Amino acid sequence: MSALPVSVITGFLGSGKTTLLSRLLRDPAFARTAVIVNEFGEVGLDHLLLEAGSEEIVLLEGGCLCCQARGDLVRTAGELLARRSRGEADFERIVVETTGLADPAPILQALMRDRELAGELRLESVIATVDCTAGDATLDAHPESVKQAALADRLVLTKADLADPGALAERLRRLNPSAPQLVAQHGEIDANLLFGFSVHEHRDLPLHAQHFHSITETQTFCLRRSRPLHAVTLALFLQVLAEHCGARLLRLKGLVDVVESPGRPAVIHGVQHVFHPPAFLDAWPDDDRGTRMVVISQGLERAWMEDLLEALEDEVKVCSIS
Amino acid sequence: MSSHRTARVARVLSGALRLWGVPAAVERDPDQVDGLVLRTPSGGSLQVAAREPHGWLLRRDGRVLGSHAGLPGLLRTLRDEL
Repeated sequence: MSALPVSVITGFLGSGKTTLLSRLLRDPAFARTAVIVNEFGEVGLDHLLLEAGSEEIVLLEGGCLCCQARGDLVRTAGELLARRSRGEADFERIVVETTGLADPAPILQALMRDRELAGELRLESVIATVDCTAGDATLDAHPESVKQAALADRLVLTKADLADPGALAERLRRLNPSAPQLVAQHGEIDANLLFGFSVHEHRDLPLHAQHFHSITETQTFCLRRSRPLHAVTLALFLQVLAEHCGARLLRLKGLVDVVESPGRPAVIHGVQHVFHPPAFLDAWPDDDRGTRMVVISQGLERAWMEDLLEALEDEVKVCSIS
Repeated sequence: MSSHRTARVARVLSGALRLWGVPAAVERDPDQVDGLVLRTPSGGSLQVAAREPHGWLLRRDGRVLGSHAGLPGLLRTLRDEL
């Protein structure tokens, strides 16, 4: 059985996550979706506000997923999958709605790290909502919101009917240039633009201006390489990043041209020190045949990562010759 | 090993030191071809020498601290020693 897609909807308090999800669940094409809602507080309300097209809405209370309730998320996702395999539930996708204060990185880690879940679920996308009316001030005042936007595969600008998204959109483009931006008016958006793609798909980054700084030191850049890498080099590179970069590596995703797998690029995906085992596509998804890795980090140097990659490849070549 | 490869490894080690927040400097070792020296502000030093046919030796005051086939092991031991 192929792995079930799981998406995470994040965004700061009041940015429109629940409205967005509620509208999405009304879409018949999106009805077979199990939803895990995390609320921070004694009494959860969001799950009641979701006008259920889905029969599978689970509320996780008692703490935020990113700090106290990670185990609950893993357990709940496991229970949903078990019910599905017994034929008691019928869904083809899981969506996790985080609290407004959540750091999405530990949530992604929890989903990727669990041995049983990692085989049954695949991270499809991280979607962050940003409120056009208050988004700028929120980014200034709340580092959590910066991280939410920086880690996203898709950015949804909400409440665009109330405020012009222009300046905010530009700021978000500097913060996360690889994430396409979608504008939602009254929460309406085409679900096909948010789901049904893989994390390795990203908008191309400019070749010469790939390094962006925000006030909170979150940077996004793209490592590119025209020559293929040995598979061992890739494994060693990811190992060094996992061992030494830790929490500074918010996210890494990309396609890698591997010597031993011509024409079949490796998809890599990692959050902090947790990496999915590389998966291989049957073919390149576009005309670009080069390695590209999008790095979202706090304080990692692009030049250092390039030097590390080249130095490891040098060593692997020497080893294979000697 | 060519000089540009040694320079690249020096940059990798320098970057790792910054990543770990260790205020040490990486210099070429005047006594060792393809060798590097890591000097800490307190006056301590570690020597990194290329090992034949490939790999690295890490020494402190002539005593071998580790012998590694590649950079991942060298970086791990360096971090432990620093």
